[in-house]
Amino acid sequence: MNQRFVAAFLLLAPAALFGADSQWALGPSTLSYLVSHPLHESVGVSHEARGKGVCHAGQCDFLIAAPVKSFDSKDSNRDLHMLQVTRGGQFPMVTVRVLLPEADLTSATIHCDLEIQFAGQTAHYKQVAFQREAHGNDIRITGTIPATLADFKIDPPSLLSIPVKNDVPIKVELTWRPM
Amino acid sequence: MLRKALGGWSGSVRGAVMACLFAALAPFLIAQAGGTGVLAGKVTDASGAAVASVKVTAVNADSGRTRTMTTGADGVYSFGALPPGNYRVKFEATGFGTLEIPSTTVPEFGRATADGKLEPEQKPGEPSLKDLGFTPDQTAGSAAAQARLDKRSHMLKIHQRLGLITVAPLVATLVLANGAKGTKGAPASASATGREIHAAVGGVTAGLYLTAASFAVFAPKIPGTKTRGSIRLHKALALIHGPGMILTPILGELAYRQKSNGQKVSGIASAHGAVGAITGIAYGAAILSVVFKF
Repeated sequence: MNQRFVAAFLLLAPAALFGADSQWALGPSTLSYLVSHPLHESVGVSHEARGKGVCHAGQCDFLIAAPVKSFDSKDSNRDLHMLQVTRGGQFPMVTVRVLLPEADLTSATIHCDLEIQFAGQTAHYKQVAFQREAHGNDIRITGTIPATLADFKIDPPSLLSIPVKNDVPIKVELTWRPM
Repeated sequence: MLRKALGGWSGSVRGAVMACLFAALAPFLIAQAGGTGVLAGKVTDASGAAVASVKVTAVNADSGRTRTMTTGADGVYSFGALPPGNYRVKFEATGFGTLEIPSTTVPEFGRATADGKLEPEQKPGEPSLKDLGFTPDQTAGSAAAQARLDKRSHMLKIHQRLGLITVAPLVATLVLANGAKGTKGAPASASATGREIHAAVGGVTAGLYLTAASFAVFAPKIPGTKTRGSIRLHKALALIHGPGMILTPILGELAYRQKSNGQKVSGIASAHGAVGAITGIAYGAAILSVVFKF
């Protein structure tokens, strides 16, 4: 009995000491952008984001990606125009990479540094706050990324010669599940 | 040497032997001297910037022969005089993941293009787009796809501007319709000038309208796009003002002739005014349906 216990301890101890890898998969999620113009506002929504998170040695690396053309504003003409101005033909994916300490995953508010690749550009956002809620094994993350068109060198589309606002906040609702 | 070996033979025999030799060797000689092709392209990073000093390797799928070169400062490479066939192209550069294009065909006397878009080198354990299950078709963009979107956008912008410009002569045509009718009881000649002006401005309207419409009709279509939103109403209204814009001048011409002959406008020509008004209303509604867009 004691020998078995010692053997089990020897097998499991290194993992406990050096931090076992854990992986996360993105479940149902919603990404939405808001474009504002003095005459009206429009929201483009995507439910096609996929993501994966890998935690190793106390550090977590999350990757979330969605096809640019999956954002739907209920108007095909506007969506195609957005696809064009964001150079979605040449750069069809938007990716978000998040690096954070594993210990932060248990906080109610998580502050993350984000790297977003979009429209052929890479933008960095420091200490963006996200809310975390646990639902059984699932972790629900919500928050808003303060993106702007200028961050990605996108010329603002205009209506009646009035350009849309530079601010295009991206609302994030993610559900992460352990793999 | 051949001449020496055949030296003892008569001229005709020597000629026949040479001809046979040539005939036997011809296919081989033709194959050796066969046409070649060019394989060229440009290597860029995720931002679209050119990447210099990329090692590009082209491997012939049939012979296994390999050619290697590096890209210049503009990210461009070009293999000349390649035997035609299928080639596997590999791109390798420091700081980037290796990219391989499994097959590209170099035509004889032709040119094949194989552009490479390099992604940053992935760190061990780091999640990648591949891990997320996206296919290369979904993640690889192309300059051609972007060019199609750009062209579509450009043509639709012209369509919008010309469409708005068309409003001015359209309104003028509708206003001038009163002058074309003339006053009740007055001779037809009294309103001849009014009719001339109405017809001329109407012609300008129709010309501008058809030009504007052609930019929408011939704008590139984007595959896999379903029409949704107010553009559906815009297109539905075009089914009214489109035929109306063709029919109105035809009816107008009939009405013009009848009126100029001193006759009362009758028959199908009498619908000219109503068709013109409906066309104008449908056109205005079509503009309003999309004007509050960017």
